[in-house]
Amino acid sequence: MSRFSVSVQSESFDIGQISADISEGRTDIGAIVSFTGLVRDFNEKPDVTALTLEHYPGMTESALDNIIQQACERWPLQDVRVIHRVGRLTPGDPIVLVVTASAHRLAAFDACAFIMDYLKTQAPFWKKENTDYGDYWVSARESDQNAAARWVENTETTEHVNSKAQEVNHESA
Amino acid sequence: MSDQLLTPGFTHLDDEGHASMVDVTEKAVTQREAVAEAYVQMQPETLQLIVSGGHKKGDVLAVARIAGIQAAKRTSDLIPLCHPLMLTKVGVELTPEPERDRIRIEAICKLAGQTGVEMEALTAASVAALTLYDMCKAVDKTMVISGTKVLEKKGGKSGHWVLESDSSAPVEERKTQPAVTSVLPQEIFEPEVRKGSPTIQVKFFAQLREQVGMDEYQVPMNQLEKYTVAGVKQWLLAQHPNWDTFLTQKSLLTAVNQNMVKGDAGINEGDELAFFPPVTGG
Repeated sequence: MSRFSVSVQSESFDIGQISADISEGRTDIGAIVSFTGLVRDFNEKPDVTALTLEHYPGMTESALDNIIQQACERWPLQDVRVIHRVGRLTPGDPIVLVVTASAHRLAAFDACAFIMDYLKTQAPFWKKENTDYGDYWVSARESDQNAAARWVENTETTEHVNSKAQEVNHESA
Repeated sequence: MSDQLLTPGFTHLDDEGHASMVDVTEKAVTQREAVAEAYVQMQPETLQLIVSGGHKKGDVLAVARIAGIQAAKRTSDLIPLCHPLMLTKVGVELTPEPERDRIRIEAICKLAGQTGVEMEALTAASVAALTLYDMCKAVDKTMVISGTKVLEKKGGKSGHWVLESDSSAPVEERKTQPAVTSVLPQEIFEPEVRKGSPTIQVKFFAQLREQVGMDEYQVPMNQLEKYTVAGVKQWLLAQHPNWDTFLTQKSLLTAVNQNMVKGDAGINEGDELAFFPPVTGG
């Protein structure tokens, strides 16, 4: 049974500390993969000066728990940590951290990507970006939906992706 | 004298906000009729004295009735923007209601003319009530005049209008009605939600929260037509028609008790329903 933890917080995080915490006293972990998302100074508009993250207290945590649970069902994971910051952040600030630990690298890599893809499309967080030209709510991207859809099998979304893939094949043929 | 009661806006103010008498020259002549009522609450002994005819000022009810009729004819002298009317009928009835220690006054005014007669009926009922007070004040200074209102109105462009609800009692005896106009949605809403009545908590997030201008809303279950997400949306839109553009967006997501739902879903008392835009974390 794997360990995992979820935290929605305004404070920053220390990835070295978390990595050390995961491996401390264990010799069965063969791979630790981490993803850190940072605030960019450009997005839908240039010159992003800051962003404010809103979440749905309660639902956000349970949505993240649920995503990790799904990852644990797909891959043999020994530890998973997800930290997501909320409130006001400025360019360069770390915003999200996903760390996965497994005996083998492939499981750790895939699970980390899976958790990030699902987090971006299912966990209730919303970004509002502040620029020199005004504030705006960031819109959802189709590329994020497609990234999440690649993990789904036998659903409408996969069929959609598959039909796209077939189109591409058809063209190349 | 006016149909204005039933049409939105103040017809007695001109474009610059100045008081003005409505020009009814071009209005059609129709048969008009209005009924108004008022109540005078008094001590049981006072009422007894009036009913028995033992009052030293004589027949109180007869005098009040004549006073009401006379007043109806003078309405345009009292109410500044009221047209003078050639009334064809004025009737004032005073009915003692000993079981409730009060006298009920009903006034009816009729005319074939170009403007309504509810001001005349209200004036008749009011002055009949004042006359009752005047004649009885020596024996009872605690009398209360209340419940003065229009009950029914016929003729003119608003047709036949009848006051809704059981209004046989003065205002203070009926349940307090919620305020209807010129207040913030929360203020309209609060009085309707009585303590202990089942509600659903609705939450709004992110851009939607900013668009509707609030983050939470208590929806009373007993006002819903359907106990579903769609039913709640329908109720919210009935309260706030201007939310239509936000609340009907196809991309809008819905969660019931913090679980995403697709399409419509049932809801129960105490549920937490949330509406929000597509998520953009990470």
